Amino acid sequence: MRKETVITLKDVSFHYGDSANVLKNLNIEIKRGEFTAVVGRNGSGKSTFAKLLGAILLPTSGTVEVDGFDTLNEDNHSVIRRKAGMVFQNPDNQIVSSVVEEDVAFALENMGVEPKEMRKRVDDALNTVGLYEHRFHAPHQLSGGQKQRVAIAGIIAMRPECIILDEATAMLDPVGRQEVLQTLYKLIEQYGVTVLHITHYMNEAADADRVIVFDEGCVLLDGTPDEVFSQEESIKSAGLELPRDVRFVLKSNLNRQTVTELAYAKEAGNPEWAVKTENLTYTYGAKTPFEKTAIKDINIGIKAGETVGVIGHSGSGKSTLIQHFNGLLKPAAGKVYIDGEDIWADKKKIRSIRFKAGLVFQYPEHQIFEETVYKAIAFGPKNMGLSEDEIDKRVRETAAMVGLSEQILKKSPFEISGGQRRRTAIAGVLAMHPEILVLDEPAAGLDPEGKNKIFSLIQTYQQKKDATVVIVSHSMEDIAKYATKVLVMNESEAVCYDTVQNVLTFNEN
Amino acid sequence: MLKDITLGQYLPGNSVVHRIDPRFKLIITAVFMGMLFAAKDILGLALGGIFAMTAFGMSGISPRIMFKSFKPLLPLVLFTAVFDLFFIKGGEVWLNWYFIEITQEGVDVTVFMVLRILFLILGTSLLTYTTSPIVLTDAIERLFSPLKKLKLPVHEFALMMTIALRFIPPLLQETDKIMSAQKARGADFESGNLLKRVKSLTPVLIPLFVSAFMRAEELALAMTCRGYTGGEGRTRLRQIKSGVKDYAALTVTVLFFAAVIIIGNLQLL
Repeated sequence: MRKETVITLKDVSFHYGDSANVLKNLNIEIKRGEFTAVVGRNGSGKSTFAKLLGAILLPTSGTVEVDGFDTLNEDNHSVIRRKAGMVFQNPDNQIVSSVVEEDVAFALENMGVEPKEMRKRVDDALNTVGLYEHRFHAPHQLSGGQKQRVAIAGIIAMRPECIILDEATAMLDPVGRQEVLQTLYKLIEQYGVTVLHITHYMNEAADADRVIVFDEGCVLLDGTPDEVFSQEESIKSAGLELPRDVRFVLKSNLNRQTVTELAYAKEAGNPEWAVKTENLTYTYGAKTPFEKTAIKDINIGIKAGETVGVIGHSGSGKSTLIQHFNGLLKPAAGKVYIDGEDIWADKKKIRSIRFKAGLVFQYPEHQIFEETVYKAIAFGPKNMGLSEDEIDKRVRETAAMVGLSEQILKKSPFEISGGQRRRTAIAGVLAMHPEILVLDEPAAGLDPEGKNKIFSLIQTYQQKKDATVVIVSHSMEDIAKYATKVLVMNESEAVCYDTVQNVLTFNEN
Repeated sequence: MLKDITLGQYLPGNSVVHRIDPRFKLIITAVFMGMLFAAKDILGLALGGIFAMTAFGMSGISPRIMFKSFKPLLPLVLFTAVFDLFFIKGGEVWLNWYFIEITQEGVDVTVFMVLRILFLILGTSLLTYTTSPIVLTDAIERLFSPLKKLKLPVHEFALMMTIALRFIPPLLQETDKIMSAQKARGADFESGNLLKRVKSLTPVLIPLFVSAFMRAEELALAMTCRGYTGGEGRTRLRQIKSGVKDYAALTVTVLFFAAVIIIGNLQLL
């Protein structure tokens, strides 16, 4: 008879090299067929925990058993990896082949499965995750959620006992996250697979059978979601937050008229608008077979000092729209005005527009290249041609505003934490003192604590400089909390632009 | 949009040429190239040309695309032509104008060389038009697998190609994004002299390298987790079966090759 428990950790401690213990004396048992969510702030040890289960890391002391196989015995590793499949955070970096079905077959090829049996298992796996029609596609033609489902298919083709997802939903949009979660529920229901889901999203954890909260390498809380989330104090002390029962949704009776009414309440070109667009249209790959209209006839006006949230599905044109605000993209038709000035009237001035309208891209820390945090922040001001003294003043001032200490300024951006790196990158834009600050998903992939820090620093900057802020986000909660107006994009068009109260409403469930 | 780029020049289709076993297609292309180099005169070359054009016709690819494939190599063709035309002397002098002298032999050689290059481009581009890069890589691995016995890393090479092909689109996308992000902070890639422009690429190249290394590390981890331990004992999902049509195609090619050699020798007699 099969054992009740799939994963057993006995007195497990772990540390890298000579450093202090990352995991301290863990005793955890995971039951077969259970959906366990693992939560905790960045650096709490949950990713290390996942790697111990996949025998990628071995415990410094104690034992880890997967379906009865001890990870300390190297001969067990191939069996353990077959029994415990892992899905990682970045959907792009775990797909080996440029053909979906071949990627799903990768593990089976490694195991030496017969081609006939392999064909069957690959087709089964693709059907289970609902991607059979996409079996000949290349990964770059798929959405993030679809790519993660390919990764899951590659694992269930191995017929594993359990699947471990290491922040596998962190980089996905809400639709993609939903796709992945639905797939997981299906696996549990139909195949009795055990799922271990490491996540920053408390709402995902709230739907699990069991929640384990990690803090500083220890298990702080362990139980059903109800038990765990009733301990509000402990949850807060672990840098987390409670799941939200109340979700914001779009009002059902929105009408398109609000767009033009708000945009043209004042005369065209009126300098009171910090950002104004007129019939703004952009097309990718014009005059090629791949021609695609990314945004169409956008007419909006953003008043100075306002904070506008931009929401919409992936591919609705949000990112294309905001790249027009600082002249990174040139409109195919229509006009963009910054402070009442047509930014494309004089091409030579476009660089100065970029200092006026600062744009923070998604995952801005991936664009850092300097050897110290100080220099990374100074890059923009330097390009503005400011004096040494002014640059120094701005760097220190901005660093203090985003909560980076003097010591950190001297460090390499690659040896500080992920949250600090994100703040360094944002400081790099803030130090240019833009009047208009545009941010694309500024909190993507961060834990609740990191996310709050980012939003509060945006607020601080907004208030200090009386800046105009545009935030693209998938999270209606964040928009409702921080924005004054909401722009809703759908299929390349602005479908609604109005105050938060008029656009969003509560949905209690 | 970057997302829509096609890799290589592959044009999906279902013609006979598309469906030929990729291993055979590789060998056929090699034999075809041998044919062009074995041809000693215009007649032998013409045979090679007929072969290539027939194959092109059977592939169902439009002639417009065929002409497009010549385009990037046109400077090379022109250079060869000019070089041959003016510097090869012999036979009757057709034109003598200041220091320029064009002879009959010069014209003959020029026509011969230009045709040879054009046919070469035609044949090899047909291979890449009708075979997807991933299938081609797979075929190379299988074809050269006997070399594994000589300790040549055939499997590793093929895997490297596969991964390179896989990561070209995301890396292109990333380059685009990093450039935009640096531009947003006032980086200037367009003005200044060459040295300044090369220098201005540092803010793009460093993040790109960092990300490439990160991707490599994560991919290696994901591969380990999926039980990858090297080429030993692996099976394959894609099975290539060779059939009558593949052998027939190869036979025809070899016959053409023989004909080219015979013609060359006949005329020497």
